[in-house]
Amino acid sequence: MPGVIAFLCRCCGEIEPTVDLPALRERIGREEGVAAVELRDTLCLPEDRAAILKAFEESGADRILLAACSPYGKVGNVVAKLSAACGNDRSRVRLIDIREGCAWIHRGDPAGATAKACDLMRMGLGFMRHGKQSADAVVSVRPECLVVGAGSAGLAAAGSIARAGYPVHLVERGAAGGGMVKLLSHVYPTDAGAEERLAPYLEAIAENPLITFHGKTRVAAATGYAGDFKIRLASEKGEKNLRVGTVILATGAGVWLPRGLYRYGELKEILTLMELERRQREGKAAAKRTVFIQCVGARCPERPYCATICCPSSIKNAVLLRKADPDAEVTILHRDIMTPGHILERYYRSALEAGVRFIRFAEAQPPVVLGEGRVGRVEVFDAISGLTREIEADQVILSTPLVANADNAKLAELFHLPLDGYGFFREDYPLHPLETRQAGVFICGSARWPVASGEAVTQGEGAAMKALSILGRKEISALSMSRLPEGKLGHARIEDGSCSGCGNCVAVCPYGACALQPVGGVFVSRANKMRCRACGSCTSVCPNGTVQMPEHNARAVGAMIRRAFAEGDAR
Amino acid sequence: MTPETPLDNPRQTAVGALPILIEGGGAAGISASLDLAAAGRSVHLIERTAVLGGQVLRLDKLYPTDHCAFCPLWTDIRRLQGEPGITVHLSSVIASLEASAEGNLATIVTKPPFIAPERCISCGRCAEACPLGAARPLGEHIYPPSFRIDEKICDRCGRCVGVCPTAAIDLARQEERKTLKIAKAIRAAGFVEADLKPLPEFGYGLHPDIMTSLEFEAWTAEAGQNGGRIVRKSGGGSPANIAFIQCSGARDKRLLPWCSAVCCMHALKQSSWVKRRDAGIDCWIFYTDLRTVGRDYYAYSQRAVDEAGVRLVRGRPGLIYPLPGGGIAVKYEDTLTQKREIRRFDMVVLNGNLRPSVGDGYGAEPPADACGFAAEPADVAQSACQGSSTAMKVLIGEREGSCRA
Repeated sequence: MPGVIAFLCRCCGEIEPTVDLPALRERIGREEGVAAVELRDTLCLPEDRAAILKAFEESGADRILLAACSPYGKVGNVVAKLSAACGNDRSRVRLIDIREGCAWIHRGDPAGATAKACDLMRMGLGFMRHGKQSADAVVSVRPECLVVGAGSAGLAAAGSIARAGYPVHLVERGAAGGGMVKLLSHVYPTDAGAEERLAPYLEAIAENPLITFHGKTRVAAATGYAGDFKIRLASEKGEKNLRVGTVILATGAGVWLPRGLYRYGELKEILTLMELERRQREGKAAAKRTVFIQCVGARCPERPYCATICCPSSIKNAVLLRKADPDAEVTILHRDIMTPGHILERYYRSALEAGVRFIRFAEAQPPVVLGEGRVGRVEVFDAISGLTREIEADQVILSTPLVANADNAKLAELFHLPLDGYGFFREDYPLHPLETRQAGVFICGSARWPVASGEAVTQGEGAAMKALSILGRKEISALSMSRLPEGKLGHARIEDGSCSGCGNCVAVCPYGACALQPVGGVFVSRANKMRCRACGSCTSVCPNGTVQMPEHNARAVGAMIRRAFAEGDAR
Repeated sequence: MTPETPLDNPRQTAVGALPILIEGGGAAGISASLDLAAAGRSVHLIERTAVLGGQVLRLDKLYPTDHCAFCPLWTDIRRLQGEPGITVHLSSVIASLEASAEGNLATIVTKPPFIAPERCISCGRCAEACPLGAARPLGEHIYPPSFRIDEKICDRCGRCVGVCPTAAIDLARQEERKTLKIAKAIRAAGFVEADLKPLPEFGYGLHPDIMTSLEFEAWTAEAGQNGGRIVRKSGGGSPANIAFIQCSGARDKRLLPWCSAVCCMHALKQSSWVKRRDAGIDCWIFYTDLRTVGRDYYAYSQRAVDEAGVRLVRGRPGLIYPLPGGGIAVKYEDTLTQKREIRRFDMVVLNGNLRPSVGDGYGAEPPADACGFAAEPADVAQSACQGSSTAMKVLIGEREGSCRA
C-alpha cells in the first residue's frame, strides 16, 4: 500500500530552530506508512509547488502531509492545488500547523515545541489513514423560478428574472399584484404616485409571456432542493404541481391596528397611517390641523422594533398636507426621527422647510388625545423644551408598524427556514442578506424585514441575481452549494444497513436534509446531499453510528484522539 | 419585447462577452463579483488597497449579531479567489474610462507594493530591520498575513531587502498601466473617513484619546495590538469613562449634510463591547436621533442601555478639548433635561464622519451603476444586497440593449 510523504517547512527560520526539525524528521520517518520525509526552507512560494510535486511523484507515496503554517497562512492555498495531484481527493492532503500554533507560541520551550509538533503530525497521520471525501452529487437545474408574493419585491424579482430570459411563476394570495403599494397614495422619497410607480411592474406581468401569474393561490407543499424544488400550489380552482430551480419568498408584511391605543376606534378622526393613505388617494385627507403620533405600538415591549418606514411615511403625508393647503398646521410627535442615509435625511429637511412641526416626546410620557365624540386636541410633553403643549387637532394620525405576514410561519415550515423573534424571515448572515439557510431559497422585501418599496425593489432585483446564479447553470453540484471555498466540509452519509430508522437525525436536521424513506419494507433515513450543509448534528444523535460525515468520520477522529493521548514511546 | 434566447447558458453563451469592471473590493463589490461570476460573466475587480474586504476588514465585530466579521468575509474572499472568471487587481485605481466603438476602455494604474504578498511569509524581519518603522503588518484581520512598507515613510535605505529571506522586497517597483476592454463598470468604491480637523469643536488631533470610531475599533480590536483590552492611547491604563459623539461632522451643513446611517449602531456596538470587556468603564453616547431601523437593532440598543449600562444623552456637544491636567472635557447640553454641563472623559470617540471615497458627495439621485456606500450611506447587509441588485441591472440592461440592436 503506498504511503505518505511528509514535508517539513523551516519557514526560513520561523519554525526551525524552535522546533528541532531533523529530530522530527527522524521520528516521523519511523511512523508506519511514511514513505519519505522532506525538509524544505519554504513550501508556499510559487517555485516550491513543482519541487513538492516532483518529490511526491518520486517517492511513490499517494498522500501528502504538510507541516508548515496555519491553514489561513500561505500554505492553505497550496493544499487545494496539491489535492489536484492526488486525484482531486482533498482527504489525501493534510496540513499541520507547526508555526502559529506551535513554534511561535512556544519560542521559550524548544523541547516542548518539538514534542508538540511531533504529536500534531502523528495525529495528522492517524487521521489521514481513515480520511475520506464526500462523493459529490450533481443535479440538473430546472430553469424556472417560483416567486411567492406580488408586492414591490416580488414584482421586481419576477420582472428581473423574466427579463433575463427565464420563466417565472408568480404566486399571489390576492387576486392581483401590487402588494402594499396599492394601498398608498404616493411613494417616498420620490413622491411619485403609487399607481404610476406600480404600472410598469404590473404591465410586465401582463405582457411578458415568461411570467405566469397565479392569483388567489398559496404554496401548499414544497419538497426537493436547490435546482429542483417540487412545489404544489393550491387555489380555489384546484391544485397544480410545479418543478422550479429556485424559490424567492417576497410575502411582504402586514398592517397592525392600534386597538385601544390613543382612543383609536373610540373618537372620530383618529386614523392609522394606512387609513390616511386611503383618504389621500380619494382626495379627502384635507384638514386644517393634523397631528401625527409616531411609534404607536412600535419600539414598545410587545413589538420591540422600529418598523423603518413609519417616519418617512409620516413625513411624506405631512408635506403632502402642507402642499395641498399651505395654511394647514401639521405636527409630527416622535421619539426619534428615523431617516438614515442621504436621501431620507434630505427628505426630513425638506419637511422642516415645508413648515412641518416636529415635537419630541419621551416613551414614558406619551401624548394624550383629548376630545368628545371626535378629536379635539392632543396634549404632549415636549421633551426638548420641557413644556407641556396642547395642540388643536382636526385629525390624529397614528403611525403603526408593519408586522410579519402570518403566512411566513407556514412557508418557513415548508422550506425549513428560520424566522426571527417577530416572525420575519431571517437571512443567512449580514454579508449574505438575501440568502437563507436553505440553498436555492432567497428572501427579499418586507418578508425579510420592513422596508419601503424602493428598497424592496432593490432587494427583489438582488434576489433575482442570486436566483440567476443557479438558473443560469445546466447543472449544479452539492459541494458547490456549500458556499465554502472548495466545498471542504462535505455532507452527511447514512449507511442503509445499520440505520434503525429511529428518526433522531430527521428531528435535529436544521436544513430538512434527513428524511425517513421506505426501503425494502422498513423505514431508513436518507440525507439529501443538496440540502446538507455539513453541520454534523445528525452524527451526534445517531445511536448506531450510522450517520457519518466522511470528512470528519469517527474512525479518523478516533485515531487522531488516540494518538494525541498515547503514552510512552508513542510520544 | 422578449428576446429569443435566455441569458442561459451564461457559462457557454457568455464566452466572448466583454468582462464587467467593478470598482471596489468591499462588501458591495465582492457581492457583485461573486454573483456575476456565478452567472458566467468574467469580472475585473479593482481594489485601491493591497487587500480585498474593504471597510469590513477594519471591523472587529458586526452588529447586531456581535459575531466576528472576519470568517464570513474571508469565506467569500476565498471563494472569489477560486473563481476563474474573476481577475483581481489589487493596489489599483481606475485612471480613465472611455467609450470606444468596440466597447468601453478602462485604464487601470497598478502600484505594486514594495513587498510582494505572494512571497511574504510574515516573519517580520523587515520590520525589525527598518529604522524608520515603515515596515508593518498589513493589518490585524488579514490572511494570509503579510507585511507592507509605507512608501511615505520609507527612505529606500534597503536594509529590509537584505534581511528578507524570500526575496519578496523590491523597492524600485514601478507602477503599471493596463487598458482593459470592458462591457460596463459598476461603482462600489465605498467610503472613507472625512477629516474632522476643519470642525475645531471636536478637538480631533488635539489629544491622542480623541479618535474616530474606526480608529477606536482598530485600537480595541481583539486581534489588534491591545488584544481587546480597553486602554488609553495617551498611556495610564484603562479609561474611567468614554464619550461616543454621534453625528460628528454628519448631519452638518458645514461638512457632511447626510446621516451616515451606520454610526448609531456602530456606537452601540462599541460601547456594549467596552462594557462587556470592562464593566467598570462608564460609556456615554451623545446622540441626536438614535437610528436603529434594522432587524434587532432597537432590541440591541435596549440591551446596551438596560443590561450593559450604556448611558444615552440627547445632545450634540458644543466643544471638546484636552484638559491641562489630563483627560478631555466635553461641553454639552442634555436637551432632554435642558441642563448644560462640562464633563471630563478619558477617551472620546467621534462617530459619523463617513463620505463616499470617490467624488465630493451625493447627487440628487444615486447613479444607476453605483452600489453600497458609493451610492448612499449603507451598512454591510444593504451594501451586499445592492451589489447583487446592480449586477442584475447591468445584465438586464446589456441583454435588452443587445436585443434592440
